[in-house]
Amino acid sequence: MRNLPSFTVATIAAIALASPLAAAQKNGAIAQDFKLTDVNGKTIQLSQFRGKTVVLEWHNPGCPFVSKHYSSGNMQATQKAARQQGAVWLTINSGAKGKQGHMTGAEAKALIATQNIQSTHYLFDAKGLVGKAYGAKTTPHMYIIDGAEILVYQGGIDDKPTANPADIRVARNHVLAALSEIKSGDKVSVAQARPYGCSVKYAS
Amino acid sequence: MTFDFRIFSIMLVFAALVFAPAAEAQNRLGNTELNVPATLMAESQQVKAGQSVTLAFVMEPKPTWHGYWENPGDAGIGMSFDWTLPAGVTAGKPQFPVPDTLLISSIMNYVYKGDYAVLVNLVLSDKARPGPLPISVKSEWLSCTDEICVPEQDELSITLQVVGNEAPLVLDKRFNGFRAALARPLGSEAGFAVSNDRFRLSIPLPANVEIAKPYFFIKEDGIVDYAAPQKFSRDGDRLILETGARGDELDTITGILKIGDHMGFLLTATKGEVAMTGLPLANDGAKTEGNASLLFLALGGALLGGLLLNLMPCVFPILSLKAISLAKAGGNETEVRRDALAYTAGVVLVATALGAILLGLRASGAAVGWAFQLQDPRIIFVLLALVTAIGLNLAGLFELPNLNFGNKLTRKDGASGSFWTGALAAFVATPCTGPFMAAALGATIILPPIAALIIFAGLGVGLALPFLLLAFVPAIRNRLPKPGPWLDSFRKAMAVPMFLTSIGLIWLLGRQIGTDALGLSLIFLLTVSLILWWFGGGQIKGLSRGALTSAAMVAAILGGIIALPGEEAMNSQKLANTSAATLPSEVFSETRLSALRASGQPVFAYFTADWCITCKANEAAAIQRTETADVFADANVTVLMGDWTRPDPEISRFLEKHGRAGVPLYLYYAPGKEPVILPQILTVATLTDLVTNPA
Repeated sequence: MRNLPSFTVATIAAIALASPLAAAQKNGAIAQDFKLTDVNGKTIQLSQFRGKTVVLEWHNPGCPFVSKHYSSGNMQATQKAARQQGAVWLTINSGAKGKQGHMTGAEAKALIATQNIQSTHYLFDAKGLVGKAYGAKTTPHMYIIDGAEILVYQGGIDDKPTANPADIRVARNHVLAALSEIKSGDKVSVAQARPYGCSVKYAS
Repeated sequence: MTFDFRIFSIMLVFAALVFAPAAEAQNRLGNTELNVPATLMAESQQVKAGQSVTLAFVMEPKPTWHGYWENPGDAGIGMSFDWTLPAGVTAGKPQFPVPDTLLISSIMNYVYKGDYAVLVNLVLSDKARPGPLPISVKSEWLSCTDEICVPEQDELSITLQVVGNEAPLVLDKRFNGFRAALARPLGSEAGFAVSNDRFRLSIPLPANVEIAKPYFFIKEDGIVDYAAPQKFSRDGDRLILETGARGDELDTITGILKIGDHMGFLLTATKGEVAMTGLPLANDGAKTEGNASLLFLALGGALLGGLLLNLMPCVFPILSLKAISLAKAGGNETEVRRDALAYTAGVVLVATALGAILLGLRASGAAVGWAFQLQDPRIIFVLLALVTAIGLNLAGLFELPNLNFGNKLTRKDGASGSFWTGALAAFVATPCTGPFMAAALGATIILPPIAALIIFAGLGVGLALPFLLLAFVPAIRNRLPKPGPWLDSFRKAMAVPMFLTSIGLIWLLGRQIGTDALGLSLIFLLTVSLILWWFGGGQIKGLSRGALTSAAMVAAILGGIIALPGEEAMNSQKLANTSAATLPSEVFSETRLSALRASGQPVFAYFTADWCITCKANEAAAIQRTETADVFADANVTVLMGDWTRPDPEISRFLEKHGRAGVPLYLYYAPGKEPVILPQILTVATLTDLVTNPA
């Protein structure tokens, strides 16, 4: 029964991790800190970017709605624009092992190269802890955290919930709009929008 | 609610990552490999200027695939429509059937797993000229399995024919089924409140409407946490929901309240205060422990209810005499116990069998309740003959050798006699169960069938309990009065409650079949009684007239059954009876309406449903009133009533024709004039003024 205490500790840790996070979903509240590993196995912690604007993007390469924004170059262009203004972009994959979109580090690296993904880090969350803590429901699902670690935006990438790339041209890119408002010191005018896409392929 | 846990068992492995741009795949038009293929159909190929025609997008998901409701829930996308229509044709809003829930990894999806049809009304302008009318629409929708999603689209077209006003229209019958799957407007407004991250909704719904696995599908996003469990409670004529909230930006919300398979109501709610009151409803979101405790609670209720049934006027005489006979046989323990067990077996078997039939009927979609067997006049007649015969037997008119109601328990066939006494007691007792058993029997609807059957058996055990106690606890048996000459008087006195039961059954029969048919039935009943009298007379003289009596009895009862009116007559009688209270009405049909109109009769037509609280309020306050009935009778107004409790295609079409999606609808047709649509809230004056002060 030596495993029991460690299991208990892990459970308590998971609960302790999960419970304050539920509140972290709310705009205007402190965004919950987290640690995840990137494609190279390096640990990345949210709080290490304190003082910078951080964009979180939930990703699943097999989802047609993600494809809409990558095939068209829209997501890469948004990532580039964000980083040009000094923001950090974390792409998070919460796909569980065996589910659609789950990747190994090597597969992810190959994908980053082929699709020219411009995010600062590509992170794995196969247990879905961070995804569930933030209430990520869809791919893509976007969050913006300002320099004071306050959650200022959550929702879809834009306001055209379709899989048709032709709609990107006429859509309002909520992330770009929020970033430019943050840059000029304004309040984010659309702080919450409906996320759209495939469901995040959590383990359970 | 269909929480689908199949995901846990179907762990399909999708290892291959498809990086090929989905944009190409999704632009395939008109291909047959769609996972949720769509077909465009029209209810009628012919259309007329100034009228509307209903189109259906018939969606047929392949196995394991599903499509989405207009609000897809946490993930997914609703369906879009891009119409190309000739001038003068406009397309209405799409109407979606009642959706299902699909919860995958705590992400809620509002979906359709089986075939479904989305309906859209096209309206033609008055100026449409006869000829072909090409309709085309580009539609996009999302098709998903539990694992993957594919955006799909198709360009669908259909060419209708505009025809002259006199041309007959042929309606596609399949649309009746499509319409029946739609949610119907509830008619009364609901209220909602958001506070402390809780969303509450108070829905007006009459207390007697049965609901199973309720779920509220909200149409607007950002208010309700879709994946949060929904807790319901009932407080009189209100159904109250509490679940997790997401936000409170809106003052008005809309959605579908689902209360059973394919049974849902469209409702609108405005912001206000909502208190969580009333009795909580269990639903399948509840834990197994919840169900287990519900089972024990219901079982306890059933036992107690069964016990109380022993005191019912229809059961007590049989049982008390049986009990005293048991006491008399006190010397022989084995025999007493055998009899009690046989009796219990009879009771439990019949109670369980009735329960099983009830569950079976429910599963097949019939809206039946407990004591459903008393809804059939033939069964009532048999029961009436039986109860009357028992009464005559108790009164001493004759002795019945096989059923030991008297003091003849010592006969050899005691055990089988006891069994049949038990079976009879359970059968006769069911109509008395209602008030005592409502809660316990209500639970049988929620519980799985096996648990439900256990409850029905529990009811039987409760009914048999006094007997078992008598048989197995001699101390109790010894306290019973010793049989003696007084027993004969007691037995005769017990005939009174039996005859009272007969009167109750006659009343019930009369309500179902009308007084004419009732008269005929009573003649057969008299025949039965006379035969028994003659049989009893034979017994006194020591003559055996058993075989002849049995044959004559069977003939008389069969005659009584055959003489009973058919089901149709019974239904119309039932309808007439429901309103016979004050304002009699006929069943609504368009043919009847036109006939009445042609003959220059004033007609008042009203459309109602048992679940519509506004309808019921109007009926109580304005329609079923003596003032209204008197004025209508004086003016010779014929009243037509359309009951929409269950979907009825003719009524649906009629409502639609009058610009209504639901009930109530009140119409008054003055002779030779255009019909007047009356307001949704009626008063006696509104109705009487129609006749006395025509506008």
